[in-house]
Amino acid sequence: MTFSDRNRLSTVPEVEFPPIRQGKLVFGFRYLARLLRAHPGYAAGYAIVLAVTLISIAAQVIAPYSPVTADATVYLQPPSLSHLFGTDSTGMDVFSRVIFAPRIDLVIAIVGTFISATIGTLVGAWVGYFQAKSGIQSFVSNAIMRAADVLQAFPVFVFAIALVAVFGQSVASLVFAIAFVNIPIYLRLVRSQVLRIRDMRYVEAAYVLGIPDLVIVARHIIPNGIAPVLAQLSVNIGWSILLTSGLSFVGAGVRAPTPEWGSMIAMGFPNVMTGQWWPSVFPGLALALTVYGFALIGASIEFLADPRRRRTLSALERKAAIQA
Amino acid sequence: MSNSRSANRGVTRRALIKGAAAVAAYSALPKMLRSTADAAEPSHTLVIAAPATPQSLDHEFDVSLGTIDSVGALYDNLLEYEKIPDTQFPEALREDISVHADKPYNLNLKGKLAEKWEVSSDGTVARFTLRQGVKSNWGNELTADDVKWTWDRKLHLTGLGPFQTGVLNITKEEQIQVDDRYVISFHLPKPSPLLLKQMVNLSNPVYDATKCKEVATKDDPWAHKFLENNTAGFVPYVVGQLTRGQQAVFKARADYYRGKPYMDTVIFKEVPTSATRLSLLKGGSVDIAQFIQPLEYSALRNATGVSVDAVKASFAIWIELNTKFKPFDDVKIRRAMNFALPREEILKAVFQSLAGKQTGCIPEIYPFFTDKFWQYDTDLDKAKALLPEAGLKDGFKSTLTYDAGNPVQEPIAILFQTSLRKIGVEISLNKVPAATFYDFVTKREQPMIFYLDSPWVPDPGYSLQLYFNSDSYVDYSNYVNQQVNELIRSGLQTLDPAARQEIFTKAQQIVMDDAPWTFIAWPRYVLARRSNLKGFTYYTSNNLRFQDFSR
Repeated sequence: MTFSDRNRLSTVPEVEFPPIRQGKLVFGFRYLARLLRAHPGYAAGYAIVLAVTLISIAAQVIAPYSPVTADATVYLQPPSLSHLFGTDSTGMDVFSRVIFAPRIDLVIAIVGTFISATIGTLVGAWVGYFQAKSGIQSFVSNAIMRAADVLQAFPVFVFAIALVAVFGQSVASLVFAIAFVNIPIYLRLVRSQVLRIRDMRYVEAAYVLGIPDLVIVARHIIPNGIAPVLAQLSVNIGWSILLTSGLSFVGAGVRAPTPEWGSMIAMGFPNVMTGQWWPSVFPGLALALTVYGFALIGASIEFLADPRRRRTLSALERKAAIQA
Repeated sequence: MSNSRSANRGVTRRALIKGAAAVAAYSALPKMLRSTADAAEPSHTLVIAAPATPQSLDHEFDVSLGTIDSVGALYDNLLEYEKIPDTQFPEALREDISVHADKPYNLNLKGKLAEKWEVSSDGTVARFTLRQGVKSNWGNELTADDVKWTWDRKLHLTGLGPFQTGVLNITKEEQIQVDDRYVISFHLPKPSPLLLKQMVNLSNPVYDATKCKEVATKDDPWAHKFLENNTAGFVPYVVGQLTRGQQAVFKARADYYRGKPYMDTVIFKEVPTSATRLSLLKGGSVDIAQFIQPLEYSALRNATGVSVDAVKASFAIWIELNTKFKPFDDVKIRRAMNFALPREEILKAVFQSLAGKQTGCIPEIYPFFTDKFWQYDTDLDKAKALLPEAGLKDGFKSTLTYDAGNPVQEPIAILFQTSLRKIGVEISLNKVPAATFYDFVTKREQPMIFYLDSPWVPDPGYSLQLYFNSDSYVDYSNYVNQQVNELIRSGLQTLDPAARQEIFTKAQQIVMDDAPWTFIAWPRYVLARRSNLKGFTYYTSNNLRFQDFSR
């Protein structure tokens, strides 16, 4: 067997795949479905996130009690049929609060992450495109990168606390804090893509044709460099949920008694020592599960966005079929 | 031969092992016996798990928890109250602060640094004869100059001193006179029933003036820098080590004029988390766990080797209703807020019944307290009916600010919010870090804010003066009622107990009607300790005094 034969055996022939134009946004549901069948762990991630989203949307119907109404006559009741996850120290129903919480956590995390991704992508594309040029544009590009260095030099959590402290304790402040601390991540990611793409023939051709720079960036560079951003988004949403909860845990997040996982964990934390574990453990589990779900989705997108890994899909499918 | 060698080697090895075991046992045995003896003999070291170590040892500028516990052991006063058993916890003692018609000046006092004391019939001059031969921790003898320097210091510094002198109408150094090496007199322009009580107050200990003058500099003539880290007093304990944020170690003085305290060494460890303090106490690593949460105290009730004393105290927790903010400028709204507070539920769920219902505006344990003007048992119908009378039939919105560092305030705020929602009042909860909370309180710019405090001098006049005189710096609800001001002023210049009772009863009636606070609770002073620790004494300054304890 020659080296090229071995090489051919170890890779899946491209003929098995419908042609995928690298850099396009749409990978197609068919590929996703194939991937989820071959890799059930990823499917679990989608199921978790979908379930959390649906439950939070239907929380008003599902929740047996108001999530913000205290009832001291039933404080710290253990899990039972009347209170599935028990009650906290003020008698609020933990189950109702746990299912209402994603309304806050998901909204803050998703909005904050999308804002940071949008700004980071636009600025990163601009910086990457103009960095090699001379004059004021290059100067501004370098200045932006150094500013990003400064921002990333701060510990993210401490920086987010400082932002919330400056702008006040509100959902808007949390969204702003999350967006702000995430922008440098997307900026660097997109810049690195643009540095590669801008030297490609089709970009040079567009430039020679006299197409304005901003049009080249918007029409030819961003669409071709956005795949890693999409992969990063899901992971980042999960991380942002953690950050939101972390901020609430230390008292810099949403105002009490807004149902939010981090603030619930913080409120119930002192009771763990005295044996009442449920006000903290249930929101903690919900938080962990949701973040895990987003991490799995991120992993699946990363898989789909990577041509080399995509080529292993058939092998995975065969393995799954044999196991079945 | 080989067997013999082998046997010999085996015997040798066995012998060696046996020998080693014997030596180990021999050396270990006395140690074990010593340990048993140690366990049988009570330890003379007191270990306290506290939320914080003292920040400053100069009480003039610091009233933090660690500091006030230290001041009680590092300085002495001229007088003290006699101690009586607590009615609910007879193992615990407390100061006898009630009015005694059969005792001089109607008080059950005992000399500490002062041997004798007398007050003129018009109540304007008090003369103290000091105990002779009392030495400070620097070896200087107590004289009247020390007392004079102590009070002069209050007049010149900007800490607690001006308040302490102000309530006695002392404004000039000449009002404090050294009559003799051991006799000091205070001359007041008007009679004051607080004069002797102020000599018991933890805030008014006596400094060793000789040492303080020695270390004073031109820039620091009152030795503030020195006293921040050192002590100069006529004291039972001295500071052995102070590592802020970790621990303070206090050593008993063998030459203390009342005899060496039982506890030779006191280790005051900073353990910020109440759950950790609880664990240390349960595990026997500490003798006292301070300020653990109500639910944790309940969990301790059945713990072996641990006792919990929960005595009535001078503490109170309430919500300041800022009368300069609408709609709290309207007495009807303030009353509605009081009717809407689910007090009984709060006492049970939040305080675990380790607090009493706050049915008055001065501590229930103080003389002349009355609860006959209490009218605010929870009644949402009454609360709701008051809103239209105040022109707010659709309710209103406001903000309640609370301290993130106080674990009971958030649940109280949530329960109150739920209750107010039922009458159409929406309050948002504003959680403020402990470090900045008191700035929020003192600025008086919040419509509603929690406050936890205790007036240390067990006198209704002192208490009312602090919180309800519109000139007081502690009138955080911006409450102004000229009649109350006049009653307080009059009561603080009246010596006759019957007349004082009449004056302060009237003042309490007006304040309760005006409801400048949402009255919540009187938390108990709760001490969680190892069962073999004896001598706990409750003081109205809500602090420990290490010299009280023994085993």
